Amino acid sequence: MTLILFTQILAALALVFTVAAFGWRLRLFNALARPVDRSTPKGNPRLGILYAYTLGMAPWAKESTRRHGIAYLRGVAFHLGIFLGLGILILSPWIYMLPVAWRTLLALGAALGALLGLAGFIARFAEYNLKALSTPDDYIAVLVVSLFQASAGLWLVYAPALPLFYIVSAIMLVYAPFSKIRHCIYYAYSRLFFGRFVGSRAVLPHSQQGAR
Amino acid sequence: MLQPVDTALGILNKQLNQPLAAALEVCARCGICAEACHYFVADPQVENAPAYKAEQLRKVYRAEHDLLSRVFPAWTGAEPLSEEKLAQLAEMAFNKCTLCYRCTANCPMGVDTPLLMTTLRAMATASGYGPEILEMLADAAIEKGKDPEMYLDFFRDSIQDMEKELQALTGNPQASIPLQKKGARMLYVALAGAHTILPAAAIFETVGEDWTLSIYEAANYGIFLGDASRAKEIARRIVDEAKQLGVEEIVISECGHAYYAMRWVAPNWFGDEFNFRVRSIVEVIAEYVKEGRLELDPSANPEAITYHDSCNLARKGGVIEEPRRVLEAITTDFRELTPNREEAFCCGGGSGLVAVPEAYEVRLAAGKPKAEQVRRSGARVVVAACENCRLQLGDLSGHYGLDIGVVALADLVVKAMRLPGYQETIEERMTAEVSVVGN
Repeated sequence: MTLILFTQILAALALVFTVAAFGWRLRLFNALARPVDRSTPKGNPRLGILYAYTLGMAPWAKESTRRHGIAYLRGVAFHLGIFLGLGILILSPWIYMLPVAWRTLLALGAALGALLGLAGFIARFAEYNLKALSTPDDYIAVLVVSLFQASAGLWLVYAPALPLFYIVSAIMLVYAPFSKIRHCIYYAYSRLFFGRFVGSRAVLPHSQQGAR
Repeated sequence: MLQPVDTALGILNKQLNQPLAAALEVCARCGICAEACHYFVADPQVENAPAYKAEQLRKVYRAEHDLLSRVFPAWTGAEPLSEEKLAQLAEMAFNKCTLCYRCTANCPMGVDTPLLMTTLRAMATASGYGPEILEMLADAAIEKGKDPEMYLDFFRDSIQDMEKELQALTGNPQASIPLQKKGARMLYVALAGAHTILPAAAIFETVGEDWTLSIYEAANYGIFLGDASRAKEIARRIVDEAKQLGVEEIVISECGHAYYAMRWVAPNWFGDEFNFRVRSIVEVIAEYVKEGRLELDPSANPEAITYHDSCNLARKGGVIEEPRRVLEAITTDFRELTPNREEAFCCGGGSGLVAVPEAYEVRLAAGKPKAEQVRRSGARVVVAACENCRLQLGDLSGHYGLDIGVVALADLVVKAMRLPGYQETIEERMTAEVSVVGN
C-alpha cells in the first residue's frame, strides 16, 4: 500500500466519522423540543428567516459588522476557505483533471483562507478581550482548520504534499465534532430562530417595520 | 429536598430545547457582540461582553453535556456548577443583563444571549437565588388574582375619584371610566396609579371607544424572574377577566415588559384559550391618529422632543413606527436619538432592574450610553412608552445632569388634544411625577 493510498483511506474514514458524528449530534438536537410560537405574527416570519440568511449577513446590516467590517470580512473569507478546502478534499482524486490555472486559483483561495485563519489565531492572542474569552479549544480549532486550508493550497501547487493534506484533513475531521468547530451545524438553526423572531415581530427586514 | 445546585441543573435540563441548545452551542467567541451591550459601552471590561456572560452558562452546560469537556474540562473551559458559582451567575443574570436583545441582533450567528440569561434567571429563582423583591411582587400579584373582591371596593372608589378628574379634563360631565363592563370591545390594562389610566381614558372618551378598565395591573414580575409558572399565573388573571367580559382585544398600557409578556409570550401558555388580539396602547393611538379620530395641535408641544425605543416594544416587539407617527402629529420639534429603532440602546433599567434597590448603582452606570445619546440629541423632553424606561430615564437625568422631562406618549397626545381641563389635571400630575423621578 502506498503512502498516498494509506493517507487517502485515513482521510476517507475520518470523513465518514465526522459525517456520522455530526449526524448523531443533529439527531440529538432534533430530539429536543422546538417551541411552537402561537402568538399572532405582526410581520412575516418567512421574510425574517430569508433576511437572516441573506441581507442580514451583509457587512452593513448590523452595527457590529459596520464597526468591525474588516474583522467580519476576515471571518467570512476564512469560513469560505474552509468550504473550499472541503471541496478540494472530496474532489482530490479527480482534481488533477482541472487545468493548471484553475488549480492555481483554488490554491490561492485556500492559502488566503489559511492566512486569514492564522490572522484570527494571532488576534486571539493579541487582543485582550478576545484572549479572555478564549479556551484552548478556540486556539486549536482555528489552528487545525487553518493548517487544513494551508495543506490543501500547498498540495495543489506541490503534488508530493498530498499525504500531508490527507493527514491534516483526517485530524481536522476527527477533531471537529468534539470541538467548537461543531458550531457549523448549529449556525443554520440559530439564524432560523433569529429570523423567525424578528420576522414575526415585524422588526426585520426594515420594510416590515410599521406593519399592521 | 434537592440542593440548590441540583435544582438549578434540573431547570437547565428541563428548559433545554432547540433554541436554547443552539444558543449554547453556536457561539464562536469572536467577541463582536461586546460593543452592542450598553454595560460594555459604559464600562469596557470583558466581563461586560455578552459573549463572556453567556460563556458562564456554557461552561456549566459543557460540564454536564459535552464529552470532551467531561474528559478534559480545562480544554473547553468547562466548570461544574457549585453554590458559589450559582450565586455569581444569579447576580450576573439579574444585574448585568437587561435582556434587551441588542447583542443577538448584532451577532453574526444570532446567538440568543437573552435566552441564556433568562434560563439562568429561572435556575437562580428556582434554587432560591432570585431577587427577593421581584419574588414578593410576583407573589403579591398572584394573591391579588386569587381574591380580587378583597380590594375591589377600594379600587372602585379610587376610579370614581379619577372619573371626576376625567370629567374636569375633558369638560364632559358624562365621561366615565368603565370597570368590569361586559361586552366591551376592549379591555385596557393599566399600571398602578392614575398616570397610566387618566390620559388613556381621555383618549378613549374622545374617540368614543367601547372600552373597560382591567381590575388588574399589567406588570408581570414573573417574566423578570424567568419563572414561567409565576408569569403564567399573573397573566391568567387578565386572560380570565378578558374571557369573562367577552372583549375582543386586550390593550396594554405603556409598559414594555407587560406588552411583551401578553403579546408574544402569553399566547404560548394558554393556547386556544387565548383568542384575543393584544396591542400596546401606542399602536391603538397610532391607529386613531391615522384614522383622523383625534384632533391634535402639534404646537401644544413646541419643545425639542425625542423618543426612546423601549427594547421590549421595539427590538423585541416591532412597535417601531407607530410611536413616531403619533409624535409627528403632536410635536413641532421631534428629533431622533442615534442609534434608534431596532438599533436603539437599552436605557439600562429594563428586565426588573428598576424594581431592585440593590441594582441602583449598576443601572445608573449602565445607562451612561443612553444618557449620552439624549444629551447629544439636545432634546428637553424624552418620550418613553415604558414605565421602567421612564423611571430609569428620570434617574439618569438626575445622575448625569441632563435636566430633561420624561413623559409617556399618551401624556403628550392629551396635551395636543387641547382639552379644556388639561392644566388643572394632567399637567399638574405630570410635573409632580417628573420631579419625583428626576430626583
